[in-house]
Order: sequence, then C-alpha cells, then structure tokens
Amino acid sequence: MTDILRIRDLKVEFVLPHMRVKAVENVSFRIGAQETVALVGESGSGKTTISQAIMGLLPKSAQITNGSIVFADPKKPGTRVDIAMLDRSGAEMRSIRGGRISMIFQEPMSSLSPLHTIGDQICEAVRLHRKVGTGEAKELAREMLELVGFPNPKRSLKTYPFELSGGLRQRAMIAMAMVCRPALLVADEPTTALDVTIQAQTLRLIKDMQSELQMSVLLITHDLGVVANMADRMVVVYDGRVVESGLTHDVFVNPGHLYTQSLLSAVPHFDMGPDERLRPLREIKPKVDSLLTFCGDKDSSGEGDVPPSLALHPAMASEPVLAVRHLYKSFAVRKGNWFKAEEQEIAAVADVSLTINRGECVGLVGESGCGKTTLSKLIMRAMAPDSGSILFRGESGQMTELTGLNEDQLNPYRKRIQFVFQDPFGSLNPRMTVQDIITEPMIIHGIGDTSYRKKMVLELMELVGLDPRFLNRYPHSFSGGQRQRIGIARALSLKPDLLIFDEPTSALDVSVQAQILNLLKDLQRELKLTYMFISHNLAVVDYIADRIAVMCAGRIVESAPREQLFRNPVHPYTQALLNAVPFADLDHLLDFTKIVDGKASDPRRWPAPFTIDAQSDPRMVQFAEDHFVRAARADYQEIAI
Amino acid sequence: MLTFLARRLFVMMPTLFFISVLVFVIIQLPPGDFLSTYLNELQAQGEAVDPAKIAFLKQQYGLDQPIWQQYFDWAWGLLHGDLGFSFEYNLPVTEVVGDRLWLSVVLNFSTVLFIYIVSFPIGIYSATRQYSWGDYGFTLLGFLGLAMPNFLFALILLYYANVVFGTSIGGLMDPEFINQGWSFAKVMSVAEHLWAPVLVIGTSGTASMIRRLRANLLDELSKQYVVTAHAKGLSPVRVLFKYPLRMALNPFIADIGNILPQVVSGSVLVSVVMSLPTTGPMLLAALQSQDMYLAGSFLMFLALLTVVGMFVSDLLLAWLDPRIRLQGGVSQ
Repeated sequence: MTDILRIRDLKVEFVLPHMRVKAVENVSFRIGAQETVALVGESGSGKTTISQAIMGLLPKSAQITNGSIVFADPKKPGTRVDIAMLDRSGAEMRSIRGGRISMIFQEPMSSLSPLHTIGDQICEAVRLHRKVGTGEAKELAREMLELVGFPNPKRSLKTYPFELSGGLRQRAMIAMAMVCRPALLVADEPTTALDVTIQAQTLRLIKDMQSELQMSVLLITHDLGVVANMADRMVVVYDGRVVESGLTHDVFVNPGHLYTQSLLSAVPHFDMGPDERLRPLREIKPKVDSLLTFCGDKDSSGEGDVPPSLALHPAMASEPVLAVRHLYKSFAVRKGNWFKAEEQEIAAVADVSLTINRGECVGLVGESGCGKTTLSKLIMRAMAPDSGSILFRGESGQMTELTGLNEDQLNPYRKRIQFVFQDPFGSLNPRMTVQDIITEPMIIHGIGDTSYRKKMVLELMELVGLDPRFLNRYPHSFSGGQRQRIGIARALSLKPDLLIFDEPTSALDVSVQAQILNLLKDLQRELKLTYMFISHNLAVVDYIADRIAVMCAGRIVESAPREQLFRNPVHPYTQALLNAVPFADLDHLLDFTKIVDGKASDPRRWPAPFTIDAQSDPRMVQFAEDHFVRAARADYQEIAI
Repeated sequence: MLTFLARRLFVMMPTLFFISVLVFVIIQLPPGDFLSTYLNELQAQGEAVDPAKIAFLKQQYGLDQPIWQQYFDWAWGLLHGDLGFSFEYNLPVTEVVGDRLWLSVVLNFSTVLFIYIVSFPIGIYSATRQYSWGDYGFTLLGFLGLAMPNFLFALILLYYANVVFGTSIGGLMDPEFINQGWSFAKVMSVAEHLWAPVLVIGTSGTASMIRRLRANLLDELSKQYVVTAHAKGLSPVRVLFKYPLRMALNPFIADIGNILPQVVSGSVLVSVVMSLPTTGPMLLAALQSQDMYLAGSFLMFLALLTVVGMFVSDLLLAWLDPRIRLQGGVSQ
C-alpha cells in the first residue's frame, strides 16, 4: 500500500512582530491509500495548523520552517509534490487544493457563502478543476448532491444555504469537497456542530463516500467517540507535538502515553459504575466552608448545623422542589407580507410535565430545537407559559404556583433558581472583575452586608477551585473551564434551591469537561444541591444525572432513571438517539446500517403507539416503575409524572 | 419580489405625508410670518405702511386662512407640481429655483459618484493590505479629510487656486454664462468648475466611506466561507471579488439613502463660501425671511431625495442579497 501523504518533521511557526511562536514541531505521520487517519487533540494542540499546512491555507503570519509534506497523487503515479515548498497561492498549489485534496469544515452555517446558491458554489469547484461546460458542471453537481442524499437535488441546486438545515448544509459542503473526486479529504471537526443523529448520518456519509471514491480521509477531531468509529489509525497531538500514533485499536486498548491515557479516561462512557469517576488531567477538590453549608434540609435546626459531607439519603429525596405540569408554550412565526400575514404557531414546549426532587439531578436530553432551552426559560420564568403550571417550593416550604405571578411577586423566587449558561465566554461581562461578577447577585437581592459578601466570594472561589488571588482579574484572563467555574460560583452565591445547567460543558475540551462534571458531582454531594442538567450529550447526562428525560419536538417522550433509560429504551426516538451516539469504545461501535437518513425526530413518522400527529396525541404512560413513555396504549395506565 | 416592491412603495407615501406635515409645522414655528417680518423691516426703515395694503396682501397670499387650510393648499399644489409662490421674489417657486435645482442635483450626484469611485478601490486596497504603508497613508489622509471642516477646505482651495494658479474657482461657471441660456459652452464651463466643490464636499464622505468599506471587508475576509473558497482552489483575486467583496457591498449600498441628504445639507455652507448657484444658499435665505413656500419646497425636495435614495438602496440590496429577498416577509 502506497502512502498518499507523508509528513515529516513538520514545524510551523507564527512570526509576530516581536517574537516567533512555535505552533507545531516535529510532527510526522503518514496517510495510506483509502485509509482514515484521525488527528486527535484538544483545542490549542495544533491540529488545525497541521491541516492548514496540508491545504496550503496557513495564515500569512505562519511559516513552515522545517520538514516536508509529500503528496503522492494516485492519479499521477510516480509523482511526488512537497506541499511545504509550494507557493501557497500559486497555480500548482491551487490545482491540488480543492482538486486533489479537499476540505470540509466544522461550521456548516458559516462555511458556505449566503449570497450564492448551492449549485453556483459546487459548479464553481467543478469548473475550476475540470474542463467542463456549464451544463456538464451542473449535471455533475446534481449527481453529487444526489449521492450525498439531498432529497431533491435538481431543485436544491438553486437553493441558498440559509434555506437549508444544518445537516443538509454539511452535506452540501461534503458534496462541494467531493465533486472533484479528491484523493484525500481533510475533515476538520466535521460533525462537532451537529446533533447526534445528524452526526451519525454525516459520519456514515463520509464512510460511504470514502469507499465510493476510494479516497483517504484525514479526520481532525477532539471526539474520541468519532475516532473509535471512523479511524484506522490515530495520531494524538498535544502542544504541537505528536505524543502517540498507531492503529486505533492498539491506542485504545493499550495507550502508551500518559496524555492519551488521561484523554481516554476523561471521556464519560455508558458502562460506568455508579461510583466510577472520570479522571480529568487536573482534579478540583471543592472546599466547603461555613457560609456555604446549604439549607438543603429544612427540618434541621440551623444552617450551620448540617454536616457538610452528609451523603444524601434516598428517603430525603422524596420532597419535590419543582413540579411542572402540562406546560405549553408556542411561538407565532409570521410568514408572508403586509397584505396577507400567515401566522403559524410553532409549539416549542407542549404538554411537558416534570418533577425535580430535592437533592437529585434530572437530566434533560434532546437535539437542537427540541425546546429544552425554552423549557428552562419557562421554569426560570424568563418567559411566561401559554398554559400549565409550575409549582416551586419557596422559602415557606410550601409549593407555590409561579405561572400567575408578576415581576415583584416573582422576585423572591428568582434567587432560588439559578442558571449556568452554555457559553463561558459570552455569559461573563468582560468589564467586570471576578469579584464583581460573583458579588452582583447578592447585591441585586440585597443579601448580607459587605463583609458577608466578601467572605462568601472567597468561599465560593475556594469551592470551585480558583485561587482567591484571581478575584481582581477580568474574565478574559481565564480559560474556558475556569470561566465556567466562575459562572458556577456566581450561580451558587445565592444558595439556590435549584440550579439549571444549559449545556455547561459543550464548549469545553474533554479533559476540562471531566473536571467540571466531577466538580458538579462533588458540589451536589457536599452541598446537597438540586440540579436540572440540559445537554445533547447522552454520555455526559448519563454520567451526572439520576433521572433522565428525553425531549423531542417540544415534548418529553420518555423519562426514566438513568440505568433503565439506557439499558431499556422504549421510545423509538430514544433508541435512535442511543444508536447514533459514537462511543469511545471499540466494543460498542456504531451500527451504521441502523442509522437511517430522514427524520428520527419527526413525531409523525414514529411507529404506531408513539405517533404524534393530527389524529393522535398520546400522553405519558407508565411503562415500568419510574419509567414513563409517551405512547397511546390502552393497556398502559395514563399517569402524569 | 413584486410584493416587496409594492410594499416599499406603499410605505413611502405615508412617510412623505408625515414629512410634509413636519416641514410645514417647523416653518410655521417661529412667531409671525413673511408679512410681519417684512412689515417690521419696513417700519424699521421709517416707511409708513398702508393697513389696507397689508390686509390685501394677507388675503392674496392666503395668510389669513387657518393653518390647516394653508397646509392643505400647499400640499395639494405640491401633488400637482405647483410648488407655491415665493413672497420674497414675487415669483412662482419654480421660476425662482429654476436652474439652481438642476445644478444642485448635478453637483450632488457628481459628489456621490466621486465618493464611490474614489473610496471603493482605496477601501479594498486598505483592507487587503492591512497595516501596510499604503494603508497607513490612506488612513492618515482619510482622517485629515474627516477632521477638516468643509468650508475651511473650500477657503484654502480658493486661496491657493488664486495665488498659485491665478484662477478663480468660485461659482459653478464662468461669469459670462450666468443668466444665459444653456449652450454647449456653458455645459463645458460647468464641468470645468465642478471639480472643486465636488472635491470639497466629497472629501469627508470619501474618507468615512473608505473606513467603512475597510472595516466591513476586514470583517468578511476573516469569515469561514472565505477559507472555503480558498480551499476550493480559487485564485485569491477571484475569491476576493466573488465572496467577501460582495458581502461587504451591503452596507455600501445601504448608505445611499444616508449619503444623499448628508451631501446635500453639507453643501449649503460650502455653496455659500464658494458662491455656488445651488439651492443651499437660497434655502438658508428663505428660512431666514420666512418665505414659507420656497423653504417648504426645498425641504420637501430634500425629503424626497432621502426617501427615494432609501428606496433605491433597498431595491439594490434585495437584488444583491438573497437573504433580504427571500426572507423579507419572515419575522419571528
């Protein structure tokens, strides 16, 4: 087997006015014919720089100062081109780029020009590298769109990217990259921005295309699950160097380098025992002090009396903190024009019932657009529901209905429900110091005096494992994981009864994710917190949640304790989700034959007892103890959870 | 697309109506009217005024009627192309304005054209060669252009043209053509004189347009779809022109509606300084003497320019950008 690409001793430096920064050093690996090689690493590891070097797309300030990238085109046997030596925008490089080596990118939303039709952009690639006329180019583009699974390829040629869903955009992107039948495809995080089911479809598509076009694939990713399912060989990069490389199987079974080992043990997987912990690169040990001892147990005599490390007894968990009943919220989308407006109601949340007991963590799983964020906003009463009830246990210990309250009446409840956001960069005000950020909620709600607040902030910093000396710094001097911990500290400063996490780790690297997840677990145990954890990542939810609710098209379709849900999923959507998750485990590879194109998330297409359409609107029924599913079955008892 | 057009045209009507009301109200706001100002002036000069004549004039001009009636007459006239009667000149507004309107249009149109032609290539150059000496040079020039008041620039230009070249660049034509009929020689003379006011009025517009284009283009150049285009193997120049430049054009075009009134109002002062026979100085005088129909017509003309400019830029945007064309009616 001949190698298509051979990289030897690659060194890339960024030349800045005052210094030279090494981005990549001593990188050597090869890609064989029709082989898939995964380049694995976390953000900042230099994996993107390597891909840019291969494509000749390095930014102006970057220079290849050493090494070679030898490309042997199987179409022209015997010729070898050193890409590192070529002029990046010269004719020779340009004929390789897009013609013989193609690339797909992470962001399907922004990778295509919004001003040009899909057909225009694909035909452009064809006509650049092949001597064909307009008509023939169109035909080739149409063929390619059909191959990547566009439902109506001829019409799709004339559509604009913004008219397509994320999954279809990524398919269009793949079609554009494949249309010249390249020898090597460089895929830079091709599925990171996609939902799990779409991710599985896209991965299958890449595999199919690979065998169809007999090309090699360089897969750049941080997701070990994707690596396990796709790659023949893997190359692990850390800090600009290759730390380990070899057959995927060998590396997974017997990781040689410490970094690879820790990467593998930082990924949550489904077979974890109840007490098994993730092992992040750096563990945070939360320290609990007097002020923070939570009012978790109302019956105890005082706040300070509860021993902080008291493990939560299941019997204590019976008291519900939040009970949501038949919640509805729909948005009106106006389509049309001035003269005839068509109002279309889109149900963002429909018939959602959910109970969260004190001290438990309820996970909410669903794909983008399923209404999970809307639900969290309704619970926070950042939005008012159309109908339904939200009961919350207030300070008095009584369940209070939140739906009818106005702003002033809501105020006492606001501090009892706190939120941690997805984006650690956007959710902290860049002009406030950490001290200000964490103190602000206490000032808003008038809690404590200055000395109390100061002490509280110090304790919170200790709690989330940040050095109190950082208090006067601004958010920009922290990493994503540290920022997320500041966000957690801010949410905890009011000692809330309920913490809602909206995808808190999806923007973080796996090792940092493990760190945050462990921190959240420890905090919950130490402070007896109650969590609602929203995520699209099933493995993460499985790791942290006690009970999991699966949401689709605004409805909760299945809810069960975590072991049950994953061992015995009943609803077709839950099954489809589980089938689509790529595990970082060679024993549980994706079954690509089970992944169907089309919509697992379309309620009208679910099989009989589960179908939701104009005729049938099934309710939640009990399937087993604590296991509920939305189905129309007369033999199951209808029960509101 | 047709509904989009119809909608835009439909919106223009109430807009113009409201502007006309506003214009009328503003003109009426200062105490008194043209006649009382006129009377005061006469009395100050010690001349006796016959009350009967005043009453006659008042009735003649319709100033004795209620305000809404005056507005209605004026607006009705406007709709029929009758701009009203100038008290000061004792002539219909159309005749008073005469060539001035067209000269203004020519001057302003040339200025806009100048701004676009000059700023476009410089903007592209500055963005693609960011932080080069050329970029810094143009930036410096641009800031100079922005910072210097137009009338000062006009004075400097007048002075040096006179001292160094010995020519007078004031006015829009050689003196012998003033009040003459249009002829080829007169057109040529206008063309000869046009460059100076265009340069003066256009500098700041050009400078800000360069900055805007540079900033927009820099934003677009770092976008992902540009990398995609490079990854296809397109040549850098074609990438630039097909993708980011087209995206950067949007604010460029959206500005047409803004730039028109900006240029027109900016030219008033310069016209006074350079004694240009445009509408600017006349508008100023009309506002001072409360010559309401003359001032009103000018202001309405400005409003019309703005509204039409907006309309044109909207049309161009819809034509250029499918997102506007196809998502126009959708809102969430």
